[in-house]
Amino acid sequence: MTTKRVLLLIGAASAVLLIVGFVIGAVGSKMFGLEKGFLKQPAIHLEIQPVFPAATRDALLIAGYEKSKEKADSPASDSGQSEGKDDGGGKSKYLGIMEFAVTNTMLSAWLTSIIMLVFFIGGARKPKLIPGRLQALIEMLFELVLNFASSILGPEMGRRAFPVVATIFFFVLFNAWLAIFLIPIYQAIGFGFAGEGGPVSSDFAIKAHLLRPAGTDLNMPLALALVSFVFVEYWGFRSHRFGYLKKFFAFGDLLRGRPSGIINVFVGLLELISEFVRIVSFTFRLFGNMTAGEILVVMITFLVPFVATQFVFGLELLVGLIQSVIFAGLTLVFLSVAVSHEEH
Amino acid sequence: MVELGLNVPSLISYLINYIILLVLLGALAYRPLLNALDNRVGSIRESLAAADRAREEAATSRSAIEEELNEARREGQRLLDQAREAAERFREEEMDRARQSAEEFSERARADITRERDAAINEVRAAFGDLAITAAERIIRRTVDRQAHQELIDQVLAEGEQALRRN
Repeated sequence: MTTKRVLLLIGAASAVLLIVGFVIGAVGSKMFGLEKGFLKQPAIHLEIQPVFPAATRDALLIAGYEKSKEKADSPASDSGQSEGKDDGGGKSKYLGIMEFAVTNTMLSAWLTSIIMLVFFIGGARKPKLIPGRLQALIEMLFELVLNFASSILGPEMGRRAFPVVATIFFFVLFNAWLAIFLIPIYQAIGFGFAGEGGPVSSDFAIKAHLLRPAGTDLNMPLALALVSFVFVEYWGFRSHRFGYLKKFFAFGDLLRGRPSGIINVFVGLLELISEFVRIVSFTFRLFGNMTAGEILVVMITFLVPFVATQFVFGLELLVGLIQSVIFAGLTLVFLSVAVSHEEH
Repeated sequence: MVELGLNVPSLISYLINYIILLVLLGALAYRPLLNALDNRVGSIRESLAAADRAREEAATSRSAIEEELNEARREGQRLLDQAREAAERFREEEMDRARQSAEEFSERARADITRERDAAINEVRAAFGDLAITAAERIIRRTVDRQAHQELIDQVLAEGEQALRRN
């Protein structure tokens, strides 16, 4: 069979799938006047979802189910503001801030970590002078990050920053891409609250997946942001000793009796605030992008399943790459500002 | 923030996860591979330097060989010139010798001819004198002073000889 014929067949199958997807998707169901669509409307969860221990998971799922049932029963009285909160009436559907449970995002991060370790250590532990394919691929990836770091920080500092920055870069990238490449596993395995119909009824839907991309958990970007923050401040102190603090507490001119020193004090305070604001911006940039991507994938799968989702997957691959480059790149830029010896 | 999922144990677990990743990857992936890359850069640099050295050595030895070849060519040319010169000299010497011996031979032949001719003339003259005397005695049949006659004859012969030589 010629390549042209194969491509034609794939094209025709894609067109058929696109039409079928359009018909059975939410858009098609609405257009053709079907009361109940083929697909269930997906639920969006910003909160973390514990999967182990089972008691915690089930308690939160039941609480969530009861809340949604209450909401369905009395839509007029629910303003939406009290949803999920433990406002005296029922149990909260959210995990407490100090409560420990293994979440689906945590499992995903562990899976990502294991895959990263196997991939990188397998290819780089015993490097050969003439590299094999895996070693060559890993060398290329490392050199990309190393050159990126060296272009911002110079060769010496770039080499020092490489392990921290590369780990951030690859962790964000692998987390984002793994969820796309393993989407059947991520989307199909989970836990649900059966309701009246039981677990095999058509009402059954997965309420908490076993795996969920770690980027959609606020704690993961926050942890990386804290790592980036601590790393940058450590190198700032190491480069300037206590002189690094002068950048933030610029009282020198004011103590010498110069009124213009007030401006320096103000600028220093702004610098101090901006250092901490970086943690927030790092966190919410990655969390927002990853969560939005996940929601987009879920929604497009609900609206027009099969072929149309492929374009979103491509977009998400790009978003994952861009976010990892931004996270690593901004860490490098902040580091270069912290270690530079220019007067501010 | 609980609605967004903020959870301290999760945060700590991600931090620990990151640190474990950093330590393991640093020790078992980053360091070995970056060292290997450095070693490769070093070995490539060394190989390039060695190749440069070899190229320079080859260029040096080629120029030395060319120099030796030129020297040999010059030596050969010099020997050829010498041989040609020697041959020329030998030829000229031989020519001179041949010319000289030819001249000597010719000189000797000429002297022999002169000597033979003188001897023949003398012989002819002696015979002619005797014959003349005998003829005169017979014709005249008288006694004459033999001495006076001989002088007369010699005189006549000398004149005759001069006349011969002139001819």
